[in-house]
Amino acid sequence: MKRLPLPRPLIESLVTISIGLVAGALLMLLFDYNPVQAYRALFVGAFGSLEDILETLAFATPLMLTALTFAVGVRGGLFNIGAEGQMYLGAIGATFVAGLLPLPPGLHLAAATAAGMLFGALWAVPPALLKAWRGVHEVISTIMCNWIAFYLATYLAINFLAEPGRAERTAPALVTARYPVLTEDASLTAAIFVALAFCLVVYLYLWGTRAGYELRLAGENPDAARYAGVKGGKVILLSFAIGGLAAGLAGATQIIGRPPAWSLYATLGNVITLGFDGIGVALVGRNHPIGGVLAAVLFGALAHGGRFMEYHAGVLSELVRAINGLIVITLAVPELWMLARRRFSR
Amino acid sequence: MKSRLWLVALVTAFVMLLIPPYAQTPAPAAAKPFKIAVVSDVGGRGDLSFNDMAFKGGEDAERDFGVRMVELVSKVEADYVPNLTTAARDPDVQLIVGVGFLLSDALAQVARKFPNKNFVGIDTFSQFIVKDKFPAQYPLLNLMDIVYEEHKGSALVGALGTLLAAQYNKPFIGGVFGIEIPVLWKFEIGYKWGARWATEWLAKNKPDKAFKYNTGFVLWTYTGTFSDIPKGYAAAKAMYAKDAVAVYNIAGPLGLGINQAVQEIARARGLKTGPPFWIGVDANQDWINPGFIIASMMKRVDKGVYFATKSVKDGKFRGVVKQINGTLVLGLGTKVAGELTEGISVSTLADLNEFVSMGQNAEKLTGKKVLPASPADIRARVKAMRDAQPPWVWSAVAELEKLIRDGKVQVPFVFTKPDIEKWRKELG
Repeated sequence: MKRLPLPRPLIESLVTISIGLVAGALLMLLFDYNPVQAYRALFVGAFGSLEDILETLAFATPLMLTALTFAVGVRGGLFNIGAEGQMYLGAIGATFVAGLLPLPPGLHLAAATAAGMLFGALWAVPPALLKAWRGVHEVISTIMCNWIAFYLATYLAINFLAEPGRAERTAPALVTARYPVLTEDASLTAAIFVALAFCLVVYLYLWGTRAGYELRLAGENPDAARYAGVKGGKVILLSFAIGGLAAGLAGATQIIGRPPAWSLYATLGNVITLGFDGIGVALVGRNHPIGGVLAAVLFGALAHGGRFMEYHAGVLSELVRAINGLIVITLAVPELWMLARRRFSR
Repeated sequence: MKSRLWLVALVTAFVMLLIPPYAQTPAPAAAKPFKIAVVSDVGGRGDLSFNDMAFKGGEDAERDFGVRMVELVSKVEADYVPNLTTAARDPDVQLIVGVGFLLSDALAQVARKFPNKNFVGIDTFSQFIVKDKFPAQYPLLNLMDIVYEEHKGSALVGALGTLLAAQYNKPFIGGVFGIEIPVLWKFEIGYKWGARWATEWLAKNKPDKAFKYNTGFVLWTYTGTFSDIPKGYAAAKAMYAKDAVAVYNIAGPLGLGINQAVQEIARARGLKTGPPFWIGVDANQDWINPGFIIASMMKRVDKGVYFATKSVKDGKFRGVVKQINGTLVLGLGTKVAGELTEGISVSTLADLNEFVSMGQNAEKLTGKKVLPASPADIRARVKAMRDAQPPWVWSAVAELEKLIRDGKVQVPFVFTKPDIEKWRKELG
């Protein structure tokens, strides 16, 4: 018999996911629920019909991008947790162009998407410069930038972008700036193709170009990179910029690529935590752009399928969250272990 | 080799999981099951006010009509549409209730997609969205928005607070608000308007206690949240520090933060009862800290859910929708087809028991202590507090209620930006 050509990380992930499922099952038994019924509801809910698969992918779309932000950071030796704030600004940029600037069809959508990405990248500049010039640790600066972004985005949404008469949200994207909905039965729009293309481009860039190689080298072995003449500052700026573009795009997809609101809630409620969730997605996806896509689909499945555990198996909504959390944690363990080992062996 | 065995086992397990869980043989020829689905807002269960009231309505309907309630708690805004859709796809579900203003867009969208199912929104304006985007379909006959006359109820508690300020010679009353959405403007201006009405009443009937209304009399803060309890605490603490006699909770669970601020003062001064007081909202919250919640502005979300379920059961839902043009208003003296159908009131001692049992349910559900004392003790302390206030306070509030019911006074209904700006100029 021939061996199945499966990469080691995938096998590890399959093993850890079964550990996570067993742990979740024990938790359910503890609370007197039927785990088989609940997991069935979860899987059928997430993948049981075409519309459910599309809904799962709709939840996955922004996560593959915010995962990319973290992943590119780690690949370049950075711990960039600024996706959250960059994503808020991306949403603001997209809202502004999509909702308030009337442009011709086609161009409008492209401009709104580009504005989202650009705003996200701009928000990544301060921590990048602080790191490159002054050596300020990116964890500190990105956390601070996240909070500033939260209040800035709220302020802009309420005072400049609000829809008259509907104070709870911004002016919705004009029809010319919306990604087409793929079917009437699910929330998925064509925005997912842009997200996938972006992940693919970043993958090709990191593994297919000299600059991408330098970035990875700087992350794997900073001393060797320096010896080989790789400029540390350039790598930092590059990795932050790619991350910012990705996070900005993630924010934009929630405004111009997700019905029914097509706008940003003044509470930021329809984008909040997508950036932080991306960290978990990246860890599960082994900080690899393509792994991140697969992990995002898994997260999307938990997010969408979770409601069926509640609905068909009657599992309490808080417990659904706990079970999802358990699965995510066990899945993240291998990569966390590797990151920790690298840190401490340095 | 070992890893491949794992793989085979896993793949088999996944495939098994993909067999639909609801593909079992259906029960033979029983009566068609009637389920209602309640899709909550992000707050979910446990706020002891808005969302819990919706679930209470469902539970009351379960008890009286033999329906079954299923629940879906929205974790993020992106869950609204999938949650409503999940419920609508269940063949046994005949009524889907969306709880909260923010579900309006989602309800309008999903209700159009499932014309055979009935939808109800609490505090929503889905029909206006339908009217705006698909005027030919307005009003959608399977969709009912239920809204409340919070401005009238808020006027009553605004008057109550102001009369207490006069009685105890205190300089302010306060209000802690959630997110600044138009629904809350109704509360805000109603509350301030009631306060001003009370100062006018005092001038006429209690000149020795009277004082002039000024735009600084009502302290108000929008906290920007319906879930962050410490923000309610911080906002209320500042108001009590200025010696406000009562603070009105218009932010659901943030009332627990207000309560904490009151409790600190009570402990420091060894008080068994207010002042300072706070004022509850949505549910009858008077039991949460008996003696310190002077009353609650009850918004009977439960009655809305109950009424909608009943009209579906009686086959009258679409007729009602047609008759009321899609929007059901529940308030003071409101009627549907000539029958009194109210949804706003100031809490009384009589309806306390119903809500004490809501606390008992929460205790059962969470296993944690929710009730601060035994039901009998709660009742005694609330009664003692009410009796300790001079009778003219209560009779003045009753007088305002009658004036509103009879249409002798008009409480301003504020729902737009120009209106709120105008009224804030006038009332502060």
